Amino acid sequence: MGGGMSSATLFTEDPRNVSDSPALLQRLSGIQPVKLLVIGFAIVVLLALIAYPLALLIGYSLIDAQGNLAFDTFEKAFNRRGMWAATVNSTVLVGLVTAGACALGIPLAWIVARTDAPGKILVTLAAGISFVIPSFISVVSWIFLAAPNSGYLNKLAVEYLGFTQAPFNIMSFGGLVFIEIIGVYPLVFFAVSAALHNVDASNEQAARVLGAGRLRTTLTITLPLVRPAILSAIILVMLDALSSFGAPAAIGTMANFSVITTKIYDLLKFPPQFNYAAAVAMPIMVVTAVSLLIQKYAVRAENFRTLTGKASSEQITTLGRWRWLAAGFCIVVVFATAVLPVGALLLLSVLSSFGADITLSNLVTKHYALIFDADFVARGSIINSLLLALATATVCAGLGLVLGWVVERVKFIGREAITFLVMIAYGFPSIAYAVGILMGYVNLFYGTLTLILIAYAGKLLPIAFVLVRNGIQQLSTDLEEAARISGAGWLRSVRDVTFPLVRGAVGVAWVLVFSLSLRELSMSAILSQADTQVMPTVVIQFIEDGAIELAAALSVVIVTVSLSILGLIRFFSRKKTAVVS
Amino acid sequence: MNFYSPAAHILPAVEAQPARLELRDLRKKLGDTAAVNGIDLKVAPGESVVLLGPSGCGKTTTLRMVAGFLQPEGGEIHLDGKLASSASFALPPEKRHLGMVFQTYAVWPHKTVADNVGYGLVVAGKKRAEIDREVAAVLELVQLGDLAKRYPSELSGGQQQRVALARALATKPTLLLLDEPLSNLDASLRQEMRFELRALQKRIGITTLYVTHDQDEALVLADRVVVMNKGRIEQVGTPEQVYRTPASRFVGNFVGTANLLEGTIVTVDRAAGRVSVALDAGDITTARASAGWLATAAPGKRATLLLRPEDIRFDRPEKPDQQTGLDVRFVSAAFLGSRYELQLTAKDTPLRMQSRTPGSFTDGRVRLWFRPDSAWVVA
Ligand SMILES: Nc1ncnc2c1ncn2[C@@H]1O[C@H](COP(=O)(O)OP(=O)(O)O)[C@@H](O)[C@H]1O
Ligand SMILES: [Mg+2]
Repeated sequence: MGGGMSSATLFTEDPRNVSDSPALLQRLSGIQPVKLLVIGFAIVVLLALIAYPLALLIGYSLIDAQGNLAFDTFEKAFNRRGMWAATVNSTVLVGLVTAGACALGIPLAWIVARTDAPGKILVTLAAGISFVIPSFISVVSWIFLAAPNSGYLNKLAVEYLGFTQAPFNIMSFGGLVFIEIIGVYPLVFFAVSAALHNVDASNEQAARVLGAGRLRTTLTITLPLVRPAILSAIILVMLDALSSFGAPAAIGTMANFSVITTKIYDLLKFPPQFNYAAAVAMPIMVVTAVSLLIQKYAVRAENFRTLTGKASSEQITTLGRWRWLAAGFCIVVVFATAVLPVGALLLLSVLSSFGADITLSNLVTKHYALIFDADFVARGSIINSLLLALATATVCAGLGLVLGWVVERVKFIGREAITFLVMIAYGFPSIAYAVGILMGYVNLFYGTLTLILIAYAGKLLPIAFVLVRNGIQQLSTDLEEAARISGAGWLRSVRDVTFPLVRGAVGVAWVLVFSLSLRELSMSAILSQADTQVMPTVVIQFIEDGAIELAAALSVVIVTVSLSILGLIRFFSRKKTAVVS
Repeated sequence: MNFYSPAAHILPAVEAQPARLELRDLRKKLGDTAAVNGIDLKVAPGESVVLLGPSGCGKTTTLRMVAGFLQPEGGEIHLDGKLASSASFALPPEKRHLGMVFQTYAVWPHKTVADNVGYGLVVAGKKRAEIDREVAAVLELVQLGDLAKRYPSELSGGQQQRVALARALATKPTLLLLDEPLSNLDASLRQEMRFELRALQKRIGITTLYVTHDQDEALVLADRVVVMNKGRIEQVGTPEQVYRTPASRFVGNFVGTANLLEGTIVTVDRAAGRVSVALDAGDITTARASAGWLATAAPGKRATLLLRPEDIRFDRPEKPDQQTGLDVRFVSAAFLGSRYELQLTAKDTPLRMQSRTPGSFTDGRVRLWFRPDSAWVVA
C-alpha cells in the first residue's frame, strides 16, 4: 500500500482492489456513510475493549506505587514472599499437565480414530462432558470423591479394600495436576482425532504399496501428517494450564500453595497493588505471545498439507487380543473423567451433608431450596450470571458479525490490525486481562455488572469473531455482488444476503459465548463485588466456606444451563438450505 | 407469453444511437500485473460480444469493471453514452441496471427459486402481483416454470445455472454480463446450453457481453469475438474472421488448431490480396493476406502461413494453384469417430491434419495438398 492513502480511499468495494490513486470525485462517490459509521463504531469498541486495557497493563507494570516510572517493579514484585515458589509451581504445573494431557489424549485419539476397540463412542462422549465441565466444578466433584479423609473413594478403599490409610488426596498439588489434566485432555483428543480422520487413506496406502509395514507407515506417514494438530493442541494446553485459576484457587487455599494466577488475585485484594499485579502478569503474557507466534509460524508452516478425505475402513487397525486392553483403558478414562465426576456432583448436591452415608433417607432437596431462596446470595448470582451471559453473547455475536464482515469484505489498512487485536485478546490470560479492565474502567463502573460485561465481552469476542468470520469466508463474494447487480445498495445486500446466510454461524457463536460466560471464574473473581456476584464466584465462596453441598447444587445449575444452551447448536447448524460455494 | 419487449427499454432509435457499452483505453492493475492494459471496445445495442482469451488475460477484470465492482485506474466506461466509470468516478453497481450471471451462479441458497428471480423486482419496489407475473414469465423463458417453489439445494447444476440467468433477466436489463457461466457444467450440458443461450439472446435481442476461455463457446455465441491476451485486445471480429483470418499467431493458435509453416515470398499480388510463398518444408503455395501486411510485403521476405487441420488433404485438388504437393512423414494417428486426427512432420515442422480416411502411406510418407485459398499469412 502506498503512502498516499487518505481515509476515504481506505475503503473500497472490492477486496481485490488495491488501487491507491485517489481523486476527489472518487472519494466522494466511494463514501457510504452507514458503512463508515458501522465500521468506525466497531473499531472504537475494539480499541476500548482490548487495546486500552492491554496498554494500561503494560504501562502499570512500569510504574511504582506513586505513579513514577520505575523499572524495578518486576524485581520488587518477584521478590515478594512466595512469588518464586508460585512461579516454580506454575512452571511444574504446566509441564505435568501438558505431558499428562498428551499421554491421555493422543493414545485415546488413535484408539478412537483408527482401531476396532469397543466403547469408542463413549470416549468421545466422555471427552465432551469433561470439556464442558469447568475445573472449579471438577474440584467440587473430586472433593466428594477424594478428599483426604471423608472422600467417598477413600472411605471405600479403607473400609472395603483393606487400605490402612486413605490412598487419594485431591487437596494437594498432585490433585490439582490431575484435575487440570482431566479438564484439558479433550483439547488434545479432539484435535488429534480430527486430524487422524482427515488423513486421506491414499496417503497411507501409497506407503503400503511401496512396501512399508503398518508400523512404519504410522511412524513415517501418519504421525508427521498429524504433527501440526498435536503441536497446536500442546500450545493450547500449555496456555490453559498457565492461566488456569479456578482449580488452583480452590485447591491452593486448602492445600496452602500458590501459583502465579492466584498470586495476582492476592495482589488485588485490599489494598490493591495494580503495578505489582501487572508486573506479575507480564511473564504469563510473554509466554502467551511467544506461544502464539510459534503457533502462527511453526505450526502453520507445517500445515501446508491441508488434509482432506474420509477415514476409510482400510485405515482401521484390528487390535486382536489387545482390543480388550484398549477397551479397559477407554472404560477407565470414561469413568474417571465423566461418570464419576458427574455422578459425584449430582449425588453431593442432594446429600444431606458431605460425609453422611449414602442412603435413601439421606437424600434431600434442601440445598437446591437454599440456592433458589430469595434471601440468599446464590439466587442473585444466578440472575446476574444469566443477565451477563445474555448480554455478553449478544454483544459478542453482534461485534463478531461486524468485525468479521469488515475483515473479510473491506480492503483497508487496518484489516490485519483488527485480526491481530482480536487474537491477542484470545491469547491473553483472563486474569491479566481482568487486571487491565479493572485499571481501565473501575472508576467508571465500580461494582456494576457493566464492568464484568466489558471483561467477558472482550475475552470472549475472539470466539465469536472466528466463528462468524469463517462463516463469512465460506460465502462467495459473488452472492453479495449478485444482490448489488440486482439493484440493492450495500446495506440492503448485507441485510438480504450476507446476514441470513451467516445466521447459523452467528447463532452458534451466541450459544458458545453464552455458555462460556456462565462458567467464567478468573475475571469474575477479580471484578465482582458484593452485589455483582456470579455463579462461579459463589461456588468458590461455598468451597472456601466448606459448604461443599451448596457448591455442588449451584454447579449442577451451571452445568445444566450450559448443556441445555449448547443443545441449541444442533438447531442452528441444521441446514435447510444449500451448501454455499 | 412474450416476456421481453426490448423496444420499451432501449432508448428511442435516434440517428446516431450511442453504443450500449463503450470502453475507452481501459486500464487496471491488480497487484503487480497490469490485468487490463488499455482496452477499447464498442458494443452496439442488441449485439452479442464475447471476450475470449486464456485464463488470466484480464477478462474477468474487464467484466467486473463494467459491472462496477472494480474501479479502473485509467480510461472510461460509458453506458448508453453516459460515463459510468473512470479513475475518478464510479457509478455504484446497483445504479447501472445490468444483469449479470456469475461463474459460481451465486444463486442465494436461502431463497426459493422464485424469490431469487424476483429479488431485483422487489428491490425496485414493484407490486407483489406484478412481481409474481414477471417471475413466472421469466421462469417460463428459461424453462423452469414448475420449480419456482424449490430451494437451490434441490436443483441440479444446470438448473441453478438457469435460475441465475432468470434472475439476471428478470429486471429486464439492456446489458447482460456473463462470466464463464457454463464452465461448471458437464461437457454435454455445456454444449446444449451454448445453443440455448444463443437462441435466447437472439430471441429477446438483449445486448450481451460474455466472457469465456472456450473457443467453441465463443464461436457459437458471438456476433463479434474479442480475442484478449495479457490484458490487451489481439483482434476483434466475427467468428469467421477470427478463425479464418487471425490477426496474429496468438489468435491463430488460440482459436482452433493452427499449423504454422514458414517460407519465403516469391510473388506479391496486392490487387488480389495474395502472395505465393516457397515453403521451407518444400512446396510452393498461394496464400491470402491482410492489406496491411501486403503493403510491406516483397519477394524474398519471410512469411508465416497458417493452415487449419481440416484444410489439409490427401487428394490432389482439381486446380492445385501452384502446389506440387507437400511431402510429409507419418508420426501418429488417432481415430475420433467422425474423423482421423493425424500427427505428421514436414521437414521437422510438426503438422496436424483431420481426415475422413486414415490415408495410405508408403514407407511412412505421403504427399499432401491444401484446400484452395485456405492458407493465410499471419506474419
Ligand atoms: N487479487 C489479485 N491480486 C493480484 N493479481 C490478481 C488478482 N486477481 C487477479 N489477478 C491477476 O490479474 C490478471 C487477470 O485476472 P482475471 O481478470 O481474473 O483473468 P481471467 O478472467 O481472464 O482469467 C491475472 O494475471 C491474475 O493473476
Ligand atoms: Mg475469469
